[in-house]
Amino acid sequence: MAVRVLVVDDEQDFLDSIVMRLELRSIEVDGVGTGVAALELLDAKPFDVVVLDIKMPGMDGIEVLRQIRSKHPGVEVIVLTGHASQEFRQLGRELGAFDYLIKPVRLDTVLERIQAACRRRRGTDCS
Amino acid sequence: MEARYKQLARRMILTGLAVALIPLYVVGAAIYLYLASAQQQSLRAELLALVVNRASAVDLFLTERTAMLEALAHTASLGDVDEASELAALLRTLNKRQHSFVDIGVLNADGNHVAYVGPYELRDRNYLGEPWFEETLSRGVDVSDVFLGFRGVPHFVVAVRRDDSPRPWILRATIDSELFTTLVRSGQVGLTGDAYIVNRAGAYQTPPRFGGAILSTAPFDPSIAPPGSNVVERQLPDGRRILSAFAWLEGKDWLLVIDRESSETLAPLQLAWKMALVGLAVCTVLIAGAIVFHVRQMVGRLEAEDRKRVAAEAQLAHSARLVSLGRMAAGVAHEINNPLAAIGQLAGLMEDLIGEDFVRSSPHGELFRTNVRKIQEHVDRTRDITHRMLGFARRMEPHQDTLNPNDVVEEALSFIEREAAFREVQITRQLDPALPMIRSDRAQLQQVILNLVNNALDAVANRGRIVVSTRAYGEVIEVQIDDDGVGIPKELRDRIFDPFFTTKEPGKGSGLGLSICHTIMQQLNGSITFDSEPGRGTTFFVRLPRVPI
Repeated sequence: MAVRVLVVDDEQDFLDSIVMRLELRSIEVDGVGTGVAALELLDAKPFDVVVLDIKMPGMDGIEVLRQIRSKHPGVEVIVLTGHASQEFRQLGRELGAFDYLIKPVRLDTVLERIQAACRRRRGTDCS
Repeated sequence: MEARYKQLARRMILTGLAVALIPLYVVGAAIYLYLASAQQQSLRAELLALVVNRASAVDLFLTERTAMLEALAHTASLGDVDEASELAALLRTLNKRQHSFVDIGVLNADGNHVAYVGPYELRDRNYLGEPWFEETLSRGVDVSDVFLGFRGVPHFVVAVRRDDSPRPWILRATIDSELFTTLVRSGQVGLTGDAYIVNRAGAYQTPPRFGGAILSTAPFDPSIAPPGSNVVERQLPDGRRILSAFAWLEGKDWLLVIDRESSETLAPLQLAWKMALVGLAVCTVLIAGAIVFHVRQMVGRLEAEDRKRVAAEAQLAHSARLVSLGRMAAGVAHEINNPLAAIGQLAGLMEDLIGEDFVRSSPHGELFRTNVRKIQEHVDRTRDITHRMLGFARRMEPHQDTLNPNDVVEEALSFIEREAAFREVQITRQLDPALPMIRSDRAQLQQVILNLVNNALDAVANRGRIVVSTRAYGEVIEVQIDDDGVGIPKELRDRIFDPFFTTKEPGKGSGLGLSICHTIMQQLNGSITFDSEPGRGTTFFVRLPRVPI
């Protein structure tokens, strides 16, 4: 089964383009612009990996991460943000994020991390 | 010591010296002056008593001699005494108890020496017109002033008149000058004391011990001596000051003078004063030494404290500046990263969508594909910059990293390798591959090592050698940096960790490098030490605690 990815980012251009590029690589991907929408979608639909921004209007990424960990403990979260602050990195690690990537990154890197996260979630390679 | 601390020390020393020494000197001087004046007073009293005593002795002597002659004159007649044998018998009688008369003679009213007994040939001399003769003739008795007489020898005579019939005659006798001088000189005291008699005209009547022969004129006017007796301070022609006790004789118009040099009587006091001065000098040296020592120490400590404080403030300001600079850099980096990420993904999407058909369908298709790739490459470049800025910001804030000291050494060396290569300085690594991971502040540690290798690079000549080695022993991780450079002179060793201490030219070094290293190593619970041999090189040791991960 293909990897199911949810990308959460308030930067629309970034969100649209990364979602489309992942789709082009045969990944089942959804994109939402807010934390609330992400949590709603997670309730409605199963995902393997969430790619999550930290600084967002409304509910920020840390809170979203916290709720994902409690409600959907099996879902792996990759933090992808422009904020490299040490305390967020530390917090993300403590809350069990799979990885913490600083924007901008090449899609290849994101893909590689998504595959690694999926491997951990499923225990086998994800196609 | 810096100028203003020197000035402070000088002021404190001067104040201390003034407070401690001035009262000492004032009290010393007061005691001396008091003692000197007391001494002077007792000396005056002593001299006065002496002069009064001696004057009455002299008076008594003269009165007695006069009385003896008078008694003789009144018991003898002219017929008796003009016989030499009679006269000689009389002289013997007179001198029976004391040899006070040298000769004796009888003169008639015409002044002829009609009889004489004595060692000189004075018989038949005529004394008419001699003051003493005239005086005796008119007043009946006279003690003469000293005069030379026919013999040309200074002497004085005592003469009495006998109012015999038909004409008066005179019995005269010469007083033994030696005896009289001895009597007067019995008032002489000490080595410089003098005792003599002057007449009203100031001529010496007995030879003074100093300052003249008999009959010469004394260097002062006897009229300065008031009637009776008293003590006067006067100055000798040679400038010495002496005390003179004066007493006018009662039976004769003579002034008995007893001189005493003040300095001689003050000698014991002056000796005491000299000893006191030595004592004062010793006290002064001790007090001054103690004051100077303590003030120096105090001001030195003050200066060190001040310097430390200033350095701490400077360092605080320095790190505060760096932290705010770091925050600003981080803020900028964050703001740029988001649009940059969008640009990167948009360009990536475009690259994904540009297929072979598209490239072939347009004359610029290939250019589009290339440029879209280039955009992503430039995004990568920009990311490197913003990530470096974030790294810098992170370094400014203290935190704990898990690190391998060898990596930190490598990072630090990577910064200076270009310059080292340019100057053909050989950097050798002897890194212990078995070094454990430790927890410490990577950025701070890197700054320390970078500072030290930078200093080493400054110290060595072109083609010099730098060796960086690491090792672990016990609970310590040690980084050692050796250079074969100029070394650190002995006299500077205590100061190299002082803030603002630099041997570089003004403007070339802040003098904060090693000071900051020292502070950082303290914060990291480590240490920094060194060994140096001028001309051979310097070794710095950076030691870190092996904090378990």
